[in-house]
Amino acid sequence: MNNQLFTMTVISLIIGLMIAVQFQTINDKPAVRDTRDSFELRQDLLKEKETELTLLEEIRSTNDKLAEYANDEQRTREEVMENTLMELKEETGLTSIKGTGIILTIDSIDQELLLGEKPGKANARLIRRLINELNMYGAAEISVNGNRHVNTSAIRDINMETKMDGQTLNSLPLEVKVLAKDEQAARELYNRMKVSASADDFFAYNLVISVKKSTDITIPAYKKNIVIRYMEPIMEKGGNS
Amino acid sequence: MWLPFFGLIVGITLGLLSDITIPKEYENYLSIAVLAALDTLFGGIRAHLQNLYDEKVFVSGFFFNILLAASLAFLGVHLGVDLYLAAIFAFGVRLFQNIAVIRRLILSRWEKKREK
Repeated sequence: MNNQLFTMTVISLIIGLMIAVQFQTINDKPAVRDTRDSFELRQDLLKEKETELTLLEEIRSTNDKLAEYANDEQRTREEVMENTLMELKEETGLTSIKGTGIILTIDSIDQELLLGEKPGKANARLIRRLINELNMYGAAEISVNGNRHVNTSAIRDINMETKMDGQTLNSLPLEVKVLAKDEQAARELYNRMKVSASADDFFAYNLVISVKKSTDITIPAYKKNIVIRYMEPIMEKGGNS
Repeated sequence: MWLPFFGLIVGITLGLLSDITIPKEYENYLSIAVLAALDTLFGGIRAHLQNLYDEKVFVSGFFFNILLAASLAFLGVHLGVDLYLAAIFAFGVRLFQNIAVIRRLILSRWEKKREK
């Protein structure tokens, strides 16, 4: 009887060991190491600080608005509502905007350089890439050939024709107007686009991009209706009023 | 009677403390081996309750089952057939059956004790 218990104990000890090892093997994930050096850390810190600043600004403006709403006078309330509506319209791109930025002109390369090939055509993929790149480098508003680019804008090849929100973009040169947040951002954007890899991508399609700075750019409003399919207003009960 | 459970707990703690891991490729084998070992353990408990316990059968069954299951899985990997599923199925079914028998035996013992 004693012997039997002993065997059982040894066997269950082995089983326990096996289970523990298996458990550890399955839960053993290599720890993600932080390999940033001090410069990268500093840069990241700066970025986070900037985010903090924008968040604080947003909080302040929202608080101001809240205070204005709380104001009893009916007239001011309406004003504030209208202001908010205008702000939202600006944000979505339903108003035209003026400011500083850059103008990109996309054109076919010179006849001599074509060497008998067909002149280039801007396809949707190229333009999408360009717009992604512009957004990455801090573009605020973008329009292509006078078509405002908004969050829901679709750039597609339809029947061999490049279309943006239904407008054909086949004729060259294409003019891409880009508005930056301020003077400095515009300068930065200009420098970035001067050395951007997009130029090479476009050149592969026999197209050439020229970049120009401009202090007076007008970006038109988005002309169509923005169709909202997946958003619904929240019907919330207000306060006591 | 509580010694085996104590052994199990000691084994688990030892394993967790010792920080041993096996390569990812052998994970399957160990999991099958664990299943086989558990099956043998519960088989042993059942035999003990039924007074059929034979130490030689128990110990040899423990190691033989583990080896068989692991080699079956190994063969399966090399043949491209998921043979380890066969082991999982067989051991899984046996595990359930053994546990059911153990439960019944304990229940009937308990009832007998109450009648007394």
